[in-house]
Amino acid sequence: MQEFNYYRPVTITELKENLSQPGTRILAGGTDIVPKMRQGKFSASILVDTSGVQAMRFIEDQGNEIVLGALTTHQEAADSALLKNINPALVMAVESIGCQQTRCRGTLGGNIANASPAADTIPPLLIFDATLLLQSLSGDRRIPLEKFLLGPGETDLQEGEFIHSISFKPMFGLWGSAFIKVGKRSGMAVSIVNIAVAVELNDKGKISDIRIALGSVAPTVIRCRKIEQSLIGKEPKPALMKEIQDACQEEISPITDIRSTEEYRDHAAAVIIHRALETAVDQAKGKTR
Amino acid sequence: MKEISVAFLLNGNKTSVTSLPNRTLLDVLRTDLGFTGAKDACGGEGECGACTVILNGKPVNSCMIFIGQVEGTQITTIEGLLEKGEYHRLQKAFVETGAVQCGFCTPGAILTAKALLDENPHPTDQEIREGLSGNLCRCTGYNKMIDAIHLAELGGLDD
Amino acid sequence: MTDQFRTVGKSLRRKDAWDKTTGKALYTADIPVENVRVGLIIRSPHHYARILEIDKERSLEVSGVLAVLTSDDIPGAKEFGPLIPDQPSLARGVVRHLGEPVVLIIAETKLAAEEAATQIQISYDPLTPVFDPIQAAKEDAPQLHQDGNIITELNICDGDIEKGFQDADHILEDTYNLPRIHPGYMELETSLAVWGDDQTITVWVSSQHPFTDQEFIAAALDLPVGNVRVKSGVIGGAFGGKEDSSLSILAALGAWAIKGTVRLVNTRRESFLAHPKRHPAKIHYKLGARSDGTFTALQAEVHMDTGAYASYGTAVAAILTETLAGSYRIPNVQVKTLVVYTNSPLSGAMRGFGSPQSHFAVESMVDSMAEEICMDPVQIRRANILKVGEKMFTGVILNETATALPICLDKAQDVIDRFQAVEVSPGKKAGVGMALAAQSMGLGAHVPDDSTHRLEWSLDGKVLIHLGSPDLGQGLAMAVEQITAEALGLPYNQVESLLLDTLDRPNGNTTCASRMTYMAGNALIDASEKLIQNLLAHAGEILEVPADKLIYKEGEIIKEDGSTLPVVEFLGRLAEDSITLMSESTFSFPYPEETTPQDLPIGMPHVLYCFGAQVARVEVDPDLGIVEVTHFAAIHDVGKVISQSGVEGQIEGGVATGLGYALYETMLKKDDQWVDSFTEYLLPTSKDLPNHFENIILEIPEASGPYGAKGIGEIPLVPTAPAVANAVKNAVGVRIKKLPITPERVLGFVD
Repeated sequence: MQEFNYYRPVTITELKENLSQPGTRILAGGTDIVPKMRQGKFSASILVDTSGVQAMRFIEDQGNEIVLGALTTHQEAADSALLKNINPALVMAVESIGCQQTRCRGTLGGNIANASPAADTIPPLLIFDATLLLQSLSGDRRIPLEKFLLGPGETDLQEGEFIHSISFKPMFGLWGSAFIKVGKRSGMAVSIVNIAVAVELNDKGKISDIRIALGSVAPTVIRCRKIEQSLIGKEPKPALMKEIQDACQEEISPITDIRSTEEYRDHAAAVIIHRALETAVDQAKGKTR
Repeated sequence: MKEISVAFLLNGNKTSVTSLPNRTLLDVLRTDLGFTGAKDACGGEGECGACTVILNGKPVNSCMIFIGQVEGTQITTIEGLLEKGEYHRLQKAFVETGAVQCGFCTPGAILTAKALLDENPHPTDQEIREGLSGNLCRCTGYNKMIDAIHLAELGGLDD
Repeated sequence: MTDQFRTVGKSLRRKDAWDKTTGKALYTADIPVENVRVGLIIRSPHHYARILEIDKERSLEVSGVLAVLTSDDIPGAKEFGPLIPDQPSLARGVVRHLGEPVVLIIAETKLAAEEAATQIQISYDPLTPVFDPIQAAKEDAPQLHQDGNIITELNICDGDIEKGFQDADHILEDTYNLPRIHPGYMELETSLAVWGDDQTITVWVSSQHPFTDQEFIAAALDLPVGNVRVKSGVIGGAFGGKEDSSLSILAALGAWAIKGTVRLVNTRRESFLAHPKRHPAKIHYKLGARSDGTFTALQAEVHMDTGAYASYGTAVAAILTETLAGSYRIPNVQVKTLVVYTNSPLSGAMRGFGSPQSHFAVESMVDSMAEEICMDPVQIRRANILKVGEKMFTGVILNETATALPICLDKAQDVIDRFQAVEVSPGKKAGVGMALAAQSMGLGAHVPDDSTHRLEWSLDGKVLIHLGSPDLGQGLAMAVEQITAEALGLPYNQVESLLLDTLDRPNGNTTCASRMTYMAGNALIDASEKLIQNLLAHAGEILEVPADKLIYKEGEIIKEDGSTLPVVEFLGRLAEDSITLMSESTFSFPYPEETTPQDLPIGMPHVLYCFGAQVARVEVDPDLGIVEVTHFAAIHDVGKVISQSGVEGQIEGGVATGLGYALYETMLKKDDQWVDSFTEYLLPTSKDLPNHFENIILEIPEASGPYGAKGIGEIPLVPTAPAVANAVKNAVGVRIKKLPITPERVLGFVD
């Protein structure tokens, strides 16, 4: 196991001070970092354990924005009635991660910072254009989640910074969403491909807003913005589906790895795009009645 | 690497350990504190649940928690389930239904089950399967564990 | 027929279960011991390489290091192996697989051992490895061992194969690919060795064969066997993978080197790389049948990849080969099996022992043939199952318990009808499939197979079973306690098994091959009778009456006048004269000359079979290819249920392992390494198994079995994978010939 010195801040102020030291890295739930340290894939001269910073565990409805503390555990997110209502895709995603034991430790911030292209929490946040509040001793900054993710395991997190919270603006009106994950096994499943979508219909039943985020098919989770734009104003018909699938497949670049093949991921992505959109549109239409 | 001091409640008792910070809760429990009920079966990757303990009411993999992280927490290990020499209803139920074969996964499974029942006293089969999905077992196929958990529901077993 | 038994057949509580639920049970890694030193094994980073030099000078200088050992330091036998002693305890001159042990470091702390590891200089000359057994069997392949790469070639013929195919109206040919899978026990391999006085050593093991470990350790340390004491810890599962002494030899070597105490515990990665797994196999299978469904000919060629060392390869080949025709009458057979060395991690014993591989081929092919001739899969099986008194192609005559076969098919048909009527989930395609299985018991003809066990009636009235074979977690101890309690007419709680210790327990032989309940059970029934005879003889002396005037019944001696005396009283009297009431019996696995063919290699054939059938209902997502097993039924004849919950548990757990083989498990190559962790090697979790499970247990008494019992340890995972494959074919029309049945395979994205 890697050697390190250990800090355990309790307040955000202490956290900022601790992280301002060189060679520090953040520990949240530990479900990614502890195994990685044991395998020699992660090291730090000083490990700053944030798991005691209660001030960063919260789920708040701030009117037109939902704010999630970065240290909110996946289980806490899964249990949130507010999130079930306002971002059910996120709830489905956190419920699907790992197992009871890892959900009780893994955090929203940790999952984002780990930046796996297969991360399940990221698509449901990306479809709502989530932004992150990054803090450090030298100040705060906001960054869209989409810009924060740079590559597999790579983020824009600078030295001394930590993710304080994640915010997103929910949809209102006639909207629906969906989250689908394809794994190799039902229990403790790592995504081979996953998707979150959100669709909003206008009172004429046409698409007024549509967001599609795909995971495990590119170096980061991606939004299919090109096709999203072109769908505004259109009627959500089955005929549209092929166009959407083809367009999304242009934007993805799945690979073959130990878990699956490029061809299967490509194929599965098309399938779950169809299913997720169908579900989301049905939900949106359901709201008219 | 500097040693740290950690204070927490272990099976109801105030406990304090001094340790190098890069040791896991599992290691400290087994090596320093003599609680060998929690096991290592997957190499500390959180893939098997044999190291499960209950931390602040939730089941967690002790192999993935650095010892410093348990400061101020309440931890229950399998050894803490016996109350005044009396077996917990889950322990009785696991024995009763034949849910124990080689037993290596048993402490972890029982603690996961306890945390499950504490929160959801009357789970469905699916909820049990979901709850146990982080505890791997190669011997039983899980069927009798599910029977045991139902048996241990309040009112299901004569104490 | 009413059940006359008081103990046998019941679901009773395992005595060892309580300590397992409290954390008190001591597995070998838990045993508290003073001054235990840390061992660290340096393992080969190459698949195949010559070792040019090992320079340990600098490592010996690291503070806290007590010993750095290579093969040269082993005082006795440098190689071991259950059938062929070809496996070096520490590599000599060459490494043949990734992860092979090369150097053993013993140190005071883990840190010191790790530091010493960085200071060792090992120079290798990498060679080109071969992983495909078909390639490795060729003349021009790198020869991995002195005598070439083919350890075993089995050829069995029966009838006239050419005529057989001429008689066929339909001939089908296919190749089935079975993967390397890991036994997956939760307790990792562990061994604790304590050096004693006078050149003695005590070694705790988690092992299926402590007496064999004793022999191999003694040979390696060049000690008399009597100086080596091996004790069994509580075992956390074995499934065949713990019929291997590699770690216990190394722990003993370490303890010998420092004249102290060493505990070695494998990591999961080391377990994947260096402990025996199921043999991957390529089975080319050709079946001929008439239009009425009767099979006329079978031709098969099998390549088994045994990996770098032989382990039990030859023995696995025997069972695989003998079961290539499954439970069927095929008059013309020609089968050939090659067991081949490759540079893969070694394969050896694993639950099923060749039978899961052969059954995947035969049961898939039988369904394919049924489809070819437009016959119902149950009907085609009915037309071909062997009857009582008929011969398998090996010449083995099936005894009266072969009546289980048609009964299994009847039960399977019921289940199929019910499963087919289940409403299909929206968007899914459902299918039902079945498979039949015949699993052998025993080690095979001409392999010495004696199992000795002992009884002791202790002063407090408890009958202690000196069980000569370890309980691996499956409940052997409970089963033999129930049998002994029944034989002695005592309550179950008055009988107790003791953990195995080579010092003072008899040699019951290896717990394996679905036979230990049968063997130990038979031995203990006989030992119980002897115990009673001993008791009556002593009681007669004490009471000064002829022994034949006394009757023993249920813990009491009944005198001629009808008065009774509890046995405990006599035990006290005997103790005064320093007499302990004991008995011992050895049961030898029966290979009756009249019915055992003599013309096959040693270890063949196996003559006693268990039968079963399994039915799977699957729902397949036709667009994603994901297979879900929604309903499952296991139909197994056990002869006589000894422990109801024990038998159920074996079946349920075995099926779970079978479903893992069918759907999730494979040890693939990954970036020139092997998959070596549970992150990528997927065992079925509770969410991956069907909630609807039917355990249909048949009892067709086996005349030679204890109270009619047969084995159940292995067969539950034998028909599982073909049942699922047949169900998938039924659901979506795709015939899977390579395991596991992954979504990619179902949709044709991989072969």
